[in-house]
Amino acid sequence: MTDQTANSIPARKWSRFKYPDSLYKYGTLLIVLVFLGYSFHFLNIDITRLFGALGRLMGVVSDRYYPPDLEYVLDKGYLAAILDTLQMSFLGGFAGVCIAIPLAWFSAANVSPARALFPVGRLGVIFCRAIHETIWTILFVSILGFGMLAGVSALTMFCIGFAGKLFADEIEAIEMGPVEAMRAAGANPFQVFLFAVVPQVRVAFTGIAIYTWDVAFRAATVVGFFGGGGMGWYLKRNVQQLENLRVAAIILSIIAMVLIAEFLSGYLRSAVNRAK
Amino acid sequence: MAVIDANPAALDQQYELRRRRYVKMGLIWLAVIAFVAWCVNGTIIEDTDWSRIGGRSGVLSSIGRYLSLDLGLLPELLIPTLETFMMASVGTVLGCFLSLPVAWLGAANVTPSKTILYPLGRFLMVLSRSVHEIVWALLFVSAVGLGALPGILAIAMRSVGFISKISAEAIENIDTKPVEAIRAVGGSQFQVMYYGILPQIYPVVLATVIFEWDINIRRSAVMGLVGAGGLGLLFFRQMNSFNYGGVTMVILAILFLIIIGEIISHYLRKAVI
Repeated sequence: MTDQTANSIPARKWSRFKYPDSLYKYGTLLIVLVFLGYSFHFLNIDITRLFGALGRLMGVVSDRYYPPDLEYVLDKGYLAAILDTLQMSFLGGFAGVCIAIPLAWFSAANVSPARALFPVGRLGVIFCRAIHETIWTILFVSILGFGMLAGVSALTMFCIGFAGKLFADEIEAIEMGPVEAMRAAGANPFQVFLFAVVPQVRVAFTGIAIYTWDVAFRAATVVGFFGGGGMGWYLKRNVQQLENLRVAAIILSIIAMVLIAEFLSGYLRSAVNRAK
Repeated sequence: MAVIDANPAALDQQYELRRRRYVKMGLIWLAVIAFVAWCVNGTIIEDTDWSRIGGRSGVLSSIGRYLSLDLGLLPELLIPTLETFMMASVGTVLGCFLSLPVAWLGAANVTPSKTILYPLGRFLMVLSRSVHEIVWALLFVSAVGLGALPGILAIAMRSVGFISKISAEAIENIDTKPVEAIRAVGGSQFQVMYYGILPQIYPVVLATVIFEWDINIRRSAVMGLVGAGGLGLLFFRQMNSFNYGGVTMVILAILFLIIIGEIISHYLRKAVI
């Protein structure tokens, strides 16, 4: 490089984002930060308490929740509740998956059987997803009364929302060749779904169904808190009686069961993937 | 896919394999159905008090109570909705900050010590995800008292698992060349992180955070049920005063909030990727 060219190029400071981009980027960042700052003010949060919270949690746990009353969770009634939770999660997951498959079929943009059914599937899945499983539980308890029927219904709604979205995403990602071949041969939408879509998504659906059970089990541990039966019911009772050592033991048992469920679902999913 | 062979022995073998697969699938389905039947028997048939539900008309009348909307609640909905939205946002950002060190510990290629801290990071991820947000909220309510703060902390703790897991996987899959280049020119450990790793994982992490924020709106709507503020508290109050029309209004507010959240996250994700 000669001196001449070096002088003709004005010295510029390098920056990662050029002018309009940088404006949008930093503008968005500024808006987000202002919103967060205002949120702190609006929600009346004391920053010092926020930073001390984790330490306080540790303190509370070691003061009140230690040592956990492990004998309580080995009690026969509680072990039966664990079995109930397992049954609820399995049933909720099964029913949810069974309902979610047609809804996902309706709501997949590429193979949806009819224009009128597309919004039905989409909105159905969004509606089930939007409402948290605890709210579903409360609603079903008020309609069906306390007990596991309400819990199973709530978990079913939760699983429809959870699995429906994943199923629909999976269907939308299939290869369209077989679908077009079936359509060209004059198949009706149901035949297209059965012979062109299902063989492509079978393995993925099985994996998602197992994962749904895993997530449903996590949710099932707390539906009892609002009257749905199972482990959550014991949690609620002991929380209200301030039996903190028992609460600690129950939370530990929930963590242990969730870990087992996660391990089991991971193992099953890898087995399904190997067997395809 | 098996190639069809004219050789009859190979064909027989194919049939045999296929038959075995059908038998296996049949057995698996049979086991699933039997298990479902056992669960139905245990949970629904034995545990339900059908007389209390009161037949079809009883169920329909209980559903009907929810359908008379209580429009008078509309002005009271505004502030809790805003609170819920803010709780979700602040909780997500806090969770994001908390998950930074966890992701750092739990990523196999950058963790400071593979024997002690790597399992610790992995354990924290699993712990955060396996405790339900309601349980986190219960713990934090007993630690810091009522209000929005325990809700934010519960959401943050629950988000840590997912965000740090995805981030750690992103860190493990990075291209190592920029990292080596920065090491070669004498960058410190922090500079390696900041200039070598962060730019590579930033889009993935941001997309994950936006996704988590979307879920956190749902979660923050129920925090009020156990003593943290927001729409959950209003829901709880309406339910306890048997104002079923008001309950429906709160649910509609949650739906409205979630649709707004979906729209925002859709555009944000498009902008990020």
